[in-house]
Amino acid sequence: MAKKTSLYEYAWRLPLILWQGLFFVGPLLLMVAMSFWLVRNYRMEPDFVFNNWDRMLSRDYFWNAYFVTFWRATLAAILASVLAFPASFALAFRASDTVRRWAVFFLIVPFFTSYLVRIYAWQVLLAESGPLNAIIGFLGLGPFTMLNSGFGAMVGYMTLVLPLVVILQTFSLAAIDKSLIEAARNLGANPRETLLRVIVPAAKVGLIIGFVFAFILSFGDFVSPFYLGGSNPPTLSILIVDTTKSGQQWPRAAVVAVMMIATLFVVAFAAVAAAYRKRS
Amino acid sequence: MTNMTPLVTFKDVKKSFGAFKAVKELNLEIGRGEFVAIMGPSGCGKTTTLRMLAGLEAPSSGTITIDGQEMNDVPVHDRDTPLVWQSLALFPFLNVTENVEFGLKMRGVAPDERRTRALQWLDRMGLKGFENRRIDELSGGQRQRVALARSLVTEPQMLLLDEPLSALDAHLVIRMQGVLTKLQKELGITFVYVTHSQSEAFAMADRVVIMGQGEIAQIGKPQEIFRAPQNRFVAEFVGRNNILEGVVHGDIITIDGSDFALPGAPDGPVEIVVAADRMQIHATAPTDAAIAAEFVSEEFAGTGIICYFEGEGGEELKAQVTESQLATLQPEPGKMFWLSWAPDAAHVIAG
Repeated sequence: MAKKTSLYEYAWRLPLILWQGLFFVGPLLLMVAMSFWLVRNYRMEPDFVFNNWDRMLSRDYFWNAYFVTFWRATLAAILASVLAFPASFALAFRASDTVRRWAVFFLIVPFFTSYLVRIYAWQVLLAESGPLNAIIGFLGLGPFTMLNSGFGAMVGYMTLVLPLVVILQTFSLAAIDKSLIEAARNLGANPRETLLRVIVPAAKVGLIIGFVFAFILSFGDFVSPFYLGGSNPPTLSILIVDTTKSGQQWPRAAVVAVMMIATLFVVAFAAVAAAYRKRS
Repeated sequence: MTNMTPLVTFKDVKKSFGAFKAVKELNLEIGRGEFVAIMGPSGCGKTTTLRMLAGLEAPSSGTITIDGQEMNDVPVHDRDTPLVWQSLALFPFLNVTENVEFGLKMRGVAPDERRTRALQWLDRMGLKGFENRRIDELSGGQRQRVALARSLVTEPQMLLLDEPLSALDAHLVIRMQGVLTKLQKELGITFVYVTHSQSEAFAMADRVVIMGQGEIAQIGKPQEIFRAPQNRFVAEFVGRNNILEGVVHGDIITIDGSDFALPGAPDGPVEIVVAADRMQIHATAPTDAAIAAEFVSEEFAGTGIICYFEGEGGEELKAQVTESQLATLQPEPGKMFWLSWAPDAAHVIAG
C-alpha cells in the first residue's frame, strides 16, 4: 500500500525545492540558453545560433585552458589525497578520541577565514622577498620564484581542499570495522598488505569522495590560479572572466561554463558510481 | 600417536589495560588436537586470553609458547593462529571465494593452487554454488561457514573461535555445534573456543576452562565442572545447580533442620552442590530427610523442565523433571513440595 505524502510533509520540502529551482536549475537553464544567444553592438540578443560553440570549441586557447584546468585539478586531487592520507590514518587509528576531536575542530578552523584572505597571506609568504625565501636564503639557496607559477596555484588549491580531504578521509577510516583489520593481520597480511588490501578498499567511499571534492573545488577555483598562479596559463575560470570583460561576450563565457559543468557532472557521477559499485 | 608436549602454554601471563587487570597470573596448557572451551561471564578475561594467543594483544608479563616457540615477539601476521570473530569479520569488498583465498594469497600461494584449495573448502562446507556471491548475499549460517573455511584453508594447527555462534538463531547454533565438533575430529587440530554459553561449551569441548575476574576458577571435563564444581563461583556460573549451606557433624549434614547423609565431609559449616537433575521432588513429605519448599515457577529448558522452588530460608532451589513427571506433580505456585537427593549426588564445594 503506497503511503500518501501529506501536504504537511510537502510544506517542509518546499523551501529546498524552491531554492534549488530558482537559484540552481533556473540559472543553469538560462546559462545553457545563453550559450546560443548572439552579441550585437555589445548587447546580447536571444537567439538560437551555434556561433559561440563553434567559435570557442575551435580555438586552441580554449582547449589549452581546458586541459590545464583538468590536469591541475587532477593533480590537486591526487596531491591532496596523498598528503592527507598519513594524517587521516594517524588520526583514525593512532590518535586517542580526545586528540581526534581536537584535530577535527582545528581542521574546521581554517574555514573561519575567507579563502581570499588566506590566499593573500600566501602572496606575502611566497613572495620573491618574502619570509619563505628568507628562510631558504639562510640555507644558502634561492631565492625561488614561487608566485605566479603552477606551484603557487597548487599551494592555493591545497589551502582550499586539504582540511576538507583530511576530515573526509579521517571519518571514513575511523568508521572501518576494526575487526576487519585484525582479521587481515590474523590471516597473515603484513601492515603494508593490510593497508592496501583491506583498509583502502574498506574506506573506498570516503577516499573517493575526498578525491572528488578536491577535484571539483580545484577545477572551478578562480582565486588560486589568478592570485597565486598569475593567470598564466589561464584556467577555464579565468577564461570566463576574460571573455565577459572583452566585448561583453557572455554567450561565449556561457559555453565555457557549460563545458565546465558538464565535465564536473561526468567526473562526479563516475566517481560516485565507482565508490558505490558493488562487485558480484 | 600424539605428541605429549602441549601445543600451547601460558606461563604466569598477566594483562592489564591501565588500572584494569584483565588477566591475572594465567597458567594453562592446551594439548594437541584438544577442543578446549574457555568460558566465563563478560569481562572475565576469556576473550583477552584468546586475543593474546593470536597476538592481537601483548601480555603485560609472562610468556605464551606455541609448539615450543616463545611467541611474545612474534607479530600477528607471522603466527599460525587463525581466529573466527564473533562478528565473523568477513571482507565485504571481496566475494566468497576471494575471502577464503585471502590467507593463502598472503602466504604467497600461486593463484591456481589457492583457487583450487578455496573451492575445495567451500565445497566441504556445503557452499558449492555460492563461490561468486557477495558476503551480503549470504545467510548468517552461510557466512559462518565462509568464516570457518577462510580460517581453515591454510591448514593451521589450531583454530581460535571467539563466541562464533552467539549471533545465530537457536536451531542454527545446534547445527553449527555439530559442524564444529565433526570438523575438529576430522582435522585433528586444536580448537580453542571462547564462549559465555555453557551449553555450547559442554556440548563440544573435551575440556572446559572456567574464568572469573581474570583468573581460572576451574579446569576440567564438562562432567567434572557440572557435577563437581570446585568453588561457589563455578557452581553459580554453571547454573542448574543447587547450592546449599549446612553444618556437617559426623558424616551428616544438617540443612534447614533436616539431616542428610554426607559421607567423607569434614565437620563444620560447608556448602554443597546438588545438580538440578539429581534433585527428587516429592508431593508428600517422605520418611527420609527432605527440604520443604514452595513451588515458584517452571521453565522449559530443552532437555527437560526446570522447576523453581523457594526453601524455608528463602533460598532458591531447582529440580529438573520430565514432562510426564510434571504432569503427575501438578505444581502450582505456592504449593508445598519436598526435595531430597541421593547421598552421592551431593558435592562439597572446597574452600
